[in-house]
Amino acid sequence: MNTIASGHTHASTMKWLLKREFWENKGSMFWAPIVVAALLVLLIGGAIVYGVTMHGAPAYVSINGHTVSHGALSALPVDTRTMVANMAGGMVLAAAAPLFIMLAFSVFFYCLGALYEERRDRSILFWKSLPVSDGQTVLSKAVTAMLVAPVITIVLATLASFVLLFVIGTALSLHGINVFSAVLASPDLLLTPLRLAAVLPVYVVWALPTVGWLMLVSGWAKSKPFLWAVGVPVVVNVVMRSINAGLETMTGQSLLLAHYVSDLVARILGGVVPGIWFTFPGHQPTNLQSTAAHGFDVGSLVTQSYLSLAGLDAWVGALLGVGMLVAAVRLRRWRDEG
Amino acid sequence: MSAVIAAKGLTKHYGKRTAVAGIDFSIPAGRIVGLIGPNGSGKTTTLKAALGLIPFEGELSVLGYDPRTQRDQLMQDVCFIADVAILPRWLRVRDAVDFVAGVHPRFDRAKAERYLAGTKLAPGMKVKEMSKGMIVQLHLALVMAIDARLLVLDEPTLGLDILYRKQFYQNLLEDYFDEHKTIVITTHQVEEVEHILTDLMFIRDGRIVLAASMEEIGERFVEVMVPQEKLSAANALQPLDRRTVFGKAVMLFDAGPGGASRQQLAALGETRNPSVADLFVATMKGTYA
Repeated sequence: MNTIASGHTHASTMKWLLKREFWENKGSMFWAPIVVAALLVLLIGGAIVYGVTMHGAPAYVSINGHTVSHGALSALPVDTRTMVANMAGGMVLAAAAPLFIMLAFSVFFYCLGALYEERRDRSILFWKSLPVSDGQTVLSKAVTAMLVAPVITIVLATLASFVLLFVIGTALSLHGINVFSAVLASPDLLLTPLRLAAVLPVYVVWALPTVGWLMLVSGWAKSKPFLWAVGVPVVVNVVMRSINAGLETMTGQSLLLAHYVSDLVARILGGVVPGIWFTFPGHQPTNLQSTAAHGFDVGSLVTQSYLSLAGLDAWVGALLGVGMLVAAVRLRRWRDEG
Repeated sequence: MSAVIAAKGLTKHYGKRTAVAGIDFSIPAGRIVGLIGPNGSGKTTTLKAALGLIPFEGELSVLGYDPRTQRDQLMQDVCFIADVAILPRWLRVRDAVDFVAGVHPRFDRAKAERYLAGTKLAPGMKVKEMSKGMIVQLHLALVMAIDARLLVLDEPTLGLDILYRKQFYQNLLEDYFDEHKTIVITTHQVEEVEHILTDLMFIRDGRIVLAASMEEIGERFVEVMVPQEKLSAANALQPLDRRTVFGKAVMLFDAGPGGASRQQLAALGETRNPSVADLFVATMKGTYA
């Protein structure tokens, strides 16, 4: 853009903007999930180790009708062994569930404060005194919400799960049950973190409308962004429903739009919840439940997630999200502070 | 295009209220300009327009750029301190230096660190642990290390004690300013910037009531100690302002074109150059009435 841009490319500016967001939100994005991950390892791992140590390992375990005695996991048929490994892989996810719930909350409130806090403490005047465009700034915040925070969570979730697996495996092997060879040999288990990362693009698409909406409100609200962000969709929903109810009693007809409003509200406020796409009409997974009995099938989670992108609604929502982010850039450009 | 800032018919309305009423001015390079006016006179609005922070009407060119449409280019060469204590509370000294070094092509890290070494600021310190004066020191360290062509300071020392205020302007003058740079300052504390300014702009009710270099002001305005017997003669020359000091009348005259001549004034009594503060008070008389 400029002749003096030597060494200061857009990429390096973006790197520093992302670092800045991380510095500011280290507590909610880094330390809080670390504490929760540590607690998960301590509580779940502790309980299992305690159980195994105090009561001894079970002499045999019955898996799918096959009785597995000490150290004989390898004697299982291959498909059953795969299933055990899948279960272990599923455990990686299940144990990390609290981390992903936390992620939803931290991303929600991060977006809500992203363009509001800097106006409230007037530090926007400092940021705007530097050669960083509003577009770059808003983009860095959206990337932080949709990529940086989830990646941190995925890494921590993986670490916590593997530590947990290691602790349990060690406790069992002290009692003569060697699960390591079977579990570690399972490609499914090792692929789990990669699969979680593979779902990330799907997360971005579904999170866009929510991130866009929250950041738009964050850039616009003079005060109480939470009330505006949640209040407006909820009030619209209630109003549409009552209009619809009135119409139904008066004319017997109902507004087509009214049926979609609740769904819209869910998408605009809940998009940052990982896996929320499975709850949206038309995207309920068919075989995720059926495999649930065999443990959580992470492989099919990826497939099912990508299938949710086949519908037009995902992309319309994402487009709206991008539109709201563009509007947030305009707001930040011209909003007059103090 | 030698002017650093050139405004023509610059106007800004906030709803029905007119904050800036079609002002024209031009600031050449290498000057230190004081934009002085009472509260609500439009000085901050003028600066915000120049920095591309607010929309406005009329023409305004800053370093040849239109701040409305070319703000991103403009900010490569402009820096500003818009208010005291606006650094975010969570920012650490170390991170602040890293960040500005990372995003600003004209930032000289060594200069910032040299300046910081002369303060009590430690690298790991967060803004929320600092006093107001320390925050300004940090901000100044960052800003002074940026080789900007235009520096805008809007009330940079408001609420600071005299030690910090003196040090602030001293650093600015000794370590920052040179003939390639231009500084625009707004402040209430006229007395403190008086000696460092090269130009003065008085703004009142959204209009510029006086714009001149300090030399011109020295030539144009004269303060006369008028003895009792010459009072009526002095009053006939239409003084801008009069006050009484130790029983003697002190009158301020505009000796510019159309005003009283220097010889006439010298005949009235002892003459001297008025302070900017006295000039300001005389010019702004009745603002809050």
